[in-house]
Amino acid sequence: MAQSTDSHLVDQIAQLNAARNLVLGDAAFYPQIVNGVLPIIGARARGELRRWGAEFLAETFASPAFDSAPKEQLATNVLQSLRDTLELPEEDTVTLKYIVQTIASLYPLVFRHIINHPEDSAAWDNITAIKQDILRRWDSFPYPVKICCIKFVQRVVQVQTHGLIADPRRPDQNETSLAIVPKNHALLSLPNLEAEASGLLDRLLSVFQEDSSDPLLVNATLNSLAVLIRTRQSVGNKIINAVMNFIPAKQVRPPITPTTRVAVKSMERTARSLMINIMKRNNSHPLTSKMQQYIERLLQSRLEPVDEPSRKRGLPIEPPDGLDQFKRARLDAETPPLLKVPPLPPGPISYAQLYTLTNDAGLSNFDVKQLPADLLVKIVVPVLGRVDPSSMHQAVEAIRMRYETLKKQQAAQAPVPAADEEDDDYEPEYQPMDASAPTAAPEDTASTELADIEPDLVSLGPFVLPQPPPLTENEAAEIGRGAVGRVFGMLASSEVTPAPAKGKGQQHLGFGRLAGSTFDRDAWVTVLTRLATRAPAGLEAGSKKSAEDSKRPAAISDSIRETLYRYILEDFRGRVNVGITWLNEEWYNDRIQMQFVASLRTEDDEEASVSLHYDHWALKLLDGFLPYLDSRDTKIFIRFLSEIPDVTIPITKRVASLAKDPERVNLCVQSLLYLIMFRPPAREICLNALEDVYQTYEESRPAAGKILARWRPQTSDQQQQQQPPPPPPPQPLEQPAL
Amino acid sequence: MEAHLRLSTAPFPVISFGTGSLVRLPGPSISQPNVYNFNSTSYAQMYEELFSKDERLYRNNGLLNMLDRNRNLKWGPERFQDWVPGQPRVDHVSKGEKGALGTEGGIVDVIITCEERCWDAVVDDLMNKDKGSSTTVNRPVHVFNVDIKDNHEEALVGGKAILDLANRLNDAAAQERKANGLHGWENGTGAARQSFDERVPEILAEWQEKWPTLPALWTLAWL
Repeated sequence: MAQSTDSHLVDQIAQLNAARNLVLGDAAFYPQIVNGVLPIIGARARGELRRWGAEFLAETFASPAFDSAPKEQLATNVLQSLRDTLELPEEDTVTLKYIVQTIASLYPLVFRHIINHPEDSAAWDNITAIKQDILRRWDSFPYPVKICCIKFVQRVVQVQTHGLIADPRRPDQNETSLAIVPKNHALLSLPNLEAEASGLLDRLLSVFQEDSSDPLLVNATLNSLAVLIRTRQSVGNKIINAVMNFIPAKQVRPPITPTTRVAVKSMERTARSLMINIMKRNNSHPLTSKMQQYIERLLQSRLEPVDEPSRKRGLPIEPPDGLDQFKRARLDAETPPLLKVPPLPPGPISYAQLYTLTNDAGLSNFDVKQLPADLLVKIVVPVLGRVDPSSMHQAVEAIRMRYETLKKQQAAQAPVPAADEEDDDYEPEYQPMDASAPTAAPEDTASTELADIEPDLVSLGPFVLPQPPPLTENEAAEIGRGAVGRVFGMLASSEVTPAPAKGKGQQHLGFGRLAGSTFDRDAWVTVLTRLATRAPAGLEAGSKKSAEDSKRPAAISDSIRETLYRYILEDFRGRVNVGITWLNEEWYNDRIQMQFVASLRTEDDEEASVSLHYDHWALKLLDGFLPYLDSRDTKIFIRFLSEIPDVTIPITKRVASLAKDPERVNLCVQSLLYLIMFRPPAREICLNALEDVYQTYEESRPAAGKILARWRPQTSDQQQQQQPPPPPPPQPLEQPAL
Repeated sequence: MEAHLRLSTAPFPVISFGTGSLVRLPGPSISQPNVYNFNSTSYAQMYEELFSKDERLYRNNGLLNMLDRNRNLKWGPERFQDWVPGQPRVDHVSKGEKGALGTEGGIVDVIITCEERCWDAVVDDLMNKDKGSSTTVNRPVHVFNVDIKDNHEEALVGGKAILDLANRLNDAAAQERKANGLHGWENGTGAARQSFDERVPEILAEWQEKWPTLPALWTLAWL
């Protein structure tokens, strides 16, 4: 028997489901289907069928696909059946739940039906009985039903208060409310209905006054109130005030379980959502500022008892990636409140003023440093976590704008005092702070604290590296040579670039320039030459005599000189500059050394305690490249001769020796002529050299003769008279050197 | 959509929505997103378009992969604010969208968002959906937020966590059904039994202990 009824039931449910699918596909079938299934799902049907029926009816009267006119008609048909089921002694939570849902949907429909059909007292009796039954059992209903009762009561309140009449000419367009009930209605007594609604609203709002608030009931109530506040001005403020007295965190009693936390957080957030919903709908709501305050109170209250432990669990605070931010910012349905940016006061601006976005004098004068750091962290971290990204963005932009205008002002105002110290400090620090936040003050202290703490964490006490073993002299020399080699490496690597830059650079750098400050090839040359000359000068001089010097293995300075010498000879045409610089340095260094020694020398008259390098290296260099000079190198050679600091007799003799080669006679004569003409101190020795050339080498006579005729008329005359010239003794000696 | 995949595979009845004004997908640069309309653009269209635009780029940033997954789940993105609860969704079932079975009545018991601002938008919109007309469903709905960062990796973890939450809720609902008993329901009065609704805060708290990195939020709202 049971088996067969069960299978029969399964069949029935399947048929009912098929019917449901039909109306879901086409809502026009609703009246037909609902009237058809009513007998099957009535109060005398099996529990399963009643449950199915209740759910189906709830769906039917909630369906937006089903037009309201036929829905209204159908509503009166189902009332009796619903009433019977509701009044059954057994309670099936699920069925009851759906019935209450259905009634919540039906109530406005039936109410409107009654308004238009005052004669239908049966319907009014039914709906009133149902209403009274639900309200009577509200508190004793099982939870899920209780929740649905909240929505039902909200509907009743909504219907039984005065709403707005949008268009008096089209009553069917108006929302169902007391406003459309005729004053002399046979069944509907306005004062009674209104009084009932008022009482019900109080009962609805009483959930906020209870000692231990149930999150389900509170949230369900909060979420149902928005429409009342929006459409029922008469009760709107009352509701808002009731909600604003409700601070969920205050009702928390220990022990605080995770469930309590979830509950309190949900109530706070729902209350906040309700307030925001109201403010968004009506920007000029008279209670806006109070609602703002309430939201802030909610925020503050939650910090302490409930939220604290949950914070410790550590929320992930990584910022979402840039794309996200961008996407979300645009997606945000809420339009954030615009930030009011007060203008900066005139005159000089302090950091504090720059970052202050509030007009509140008390707030801007408050010194955050007075608060202990841990308290600050407690406040700042949650606040930052909750800062509205768009407000934050606005604030940052506002500060940026201020900064930009300030910068422009400063630039325009005072180009000279711009180098002012204050300004110097100002700029580099500014950018990173700008990126942080308008709440820069607390953050700032936090970050400096962090900086203070960090070294402590890291330092493990003083640590002293052991002294390295002393280098032997050879090792030192070896390392020195290595260093020199490196510098020559620099020379080689930076060789390519300077050519175009050099001419320019020389124009710009005047006498005041600092040698070696440009870090191009010239600079390295300067470094090298000084390294060779001045740097070790004192050391060598200090160590005994020049006689001993020669015995010693090449000192570091000599190895540099040797390297320089070779470096120049590798390409003497291109590197004649280097040679000139070097020789100048040598000469200068010699002078300095001589002066220095002279100043030291008192009574013990030792002679020539300075080892001079100029002569030696000048000759060596000259000897080095003379063999390679050809007749086209006149310019380079003349330049060399004219720019080296000192032209000595040995040098002129080397020059004169050039005349041995008939091809280079001209080179020789012209070089000497240049020196004669433009280097007066060397004129005499050069003329002597020229005379020697004239007398020794036949080929030189035409050219040299003219010069001598001009510069030494007497000798040239003499020479023409007494042909045998005095053979210059040093010359043959020097020739092997060539 | 990862959650849609997970939940519909479980299988739960699922509807998925966006809450923005437009569907925005990353483009070649941050200032050039690919923008589509809700409700009228299919995932297949988006896939084809991005595929032809720059296959390499959108393959590498995972978009094509994602759209491919989505186009196998449902026709196209829907916007929450345009959703009319109770509006039959029979066509979605007949299109064979995954998770559509069971949503034909256009009703849900639970809404899960993946970002707090979406939760805010949903709660706010549900308040606005109540126009005071008779079309409101008057049915309670639990709205959860599970905070998930919007990237492919986090979506995988988040999808798992959401499935876990859904399973826990479903278990509780199943227990309630069993207690009420489809066949023996007349035997008990149910007053002493904790209902599913009552247990939700507790379930969420337990869930949160297990997933501490995904801060959750909940409320009971109305469809």
